[in-house]
Amino acid sequence: MMSVPSVQIAKERVRALVIADRMHCTPDTVEQMSTDIYLAISKYMEVKPEHFDLEITRSDIHIKYTGEK
Amino acid sequence: MGEVIVITSGKGGVGKTTTTANIGIGLSLAGNKVVVIDTDLGLRNLDVVMGLENRIVYNLVDVIEGKCRMKQALIKDSRFPELYLLPSAQTKDKTSVSPEQMRKLISDLKEEFDYILLDCPAGIEQGFQNAIAGADRAIVVTTAEVSSIRDADRIIGLLETNGIRRNELIINRLRIDMVRRGDMMSVEDVTEILAIDLLGVIPDDEQVVIATNQGEPVIGEDCMAGQAYQHICQRLLGKEVPIPDFSRPEGILTRFRHLFSRQ
Repeated sequence: MMSVPSVQIAKERVRALVIADRMHCTPDTVEQMSTDIYLAISKYMEVKPEHFDLEITRSDIHIKYTGEK
Repeated sequence: MGEVIVITSGKGGVGKTTTTANIGIGLSLAGNKVVVIDTDLGLRNLDVVMGLENRIVYNLVDVIEGKCRMKQALIKDSRFPELYLLPSAQTKDKTSVSPEQMRKLISDLKEEFDYILLDCPAGIEQGFQNAIAGADRAIVVTTAEVSSIRDADRIIGLLETNGIRRNELIINRLRIDMVRRGDMMSVEDVTEILAIDLLGVIPDDEQVVIATNQGEPVIGEDCMAGQAYQHICQRLLGKEVPIPDFSRPEGILTRFRHLFSRQ
């Protein structure tokens, strides 16, 4: 019945909740903001979605590119 | 001057009170003068977990209101070298004490004790503010569950906002079997999200329930939780004790090592 280990789901849920709490908004808003930041950056430079990551810690927001040469 | 440690979690029922009692006892057994304070006004529990519920005469609120002297309210736990309990009031609520009053009370106790442990109530309201008011550092207790980790993250944020930056994590009630089959978040999963130093991991152990039924500690007992609390106390006292790797299944090599070590 349970083919997918539930820990994967738990990790995704807690990550979304924690980031939303840190930003004082809903997980949807965080997702929207992340998309908007990505789109804004893409206007000026070529970034693939899989190389873009927005990390929100308790005190900082980090924007990371992993696809740079 | 004593060190003041608040034991907190956000979410209720994750093991703050059991942790406070066992660390208090462990530090006392290591030769320190320790006082444990129950700051959960209206819902006192620490006395029950320690098996001292029949010895309460005065409480925290009585001391703050000047109805008794500190010495009259402190209960000495005669099973251990230098361990005292300051119980909470069962009939008062969290508004009967202010953070300033707590700060004053703790600064008096600091003169006399090596360690002052504060058992914090669940939640982030005034009870929490009272409990952290005089604290130098914090121990955040969580289980490896979504709701508990989420609350721990908020608590760490609030501690940092309140200027408490020495925050360490205890992961409680870890089910090693479930971690191994991918149905419980591992120690690494939890620490990656919360990003604070790990003080210890306490495996889920039915001995905790048995000990709590009797008002006895698990620390000092030959069981997994007892040993984990022992290690936590040693780390608090500055010794380097490695945290066992709970995520890997026991391999053939380690099993062999066990065989040899038994001889």
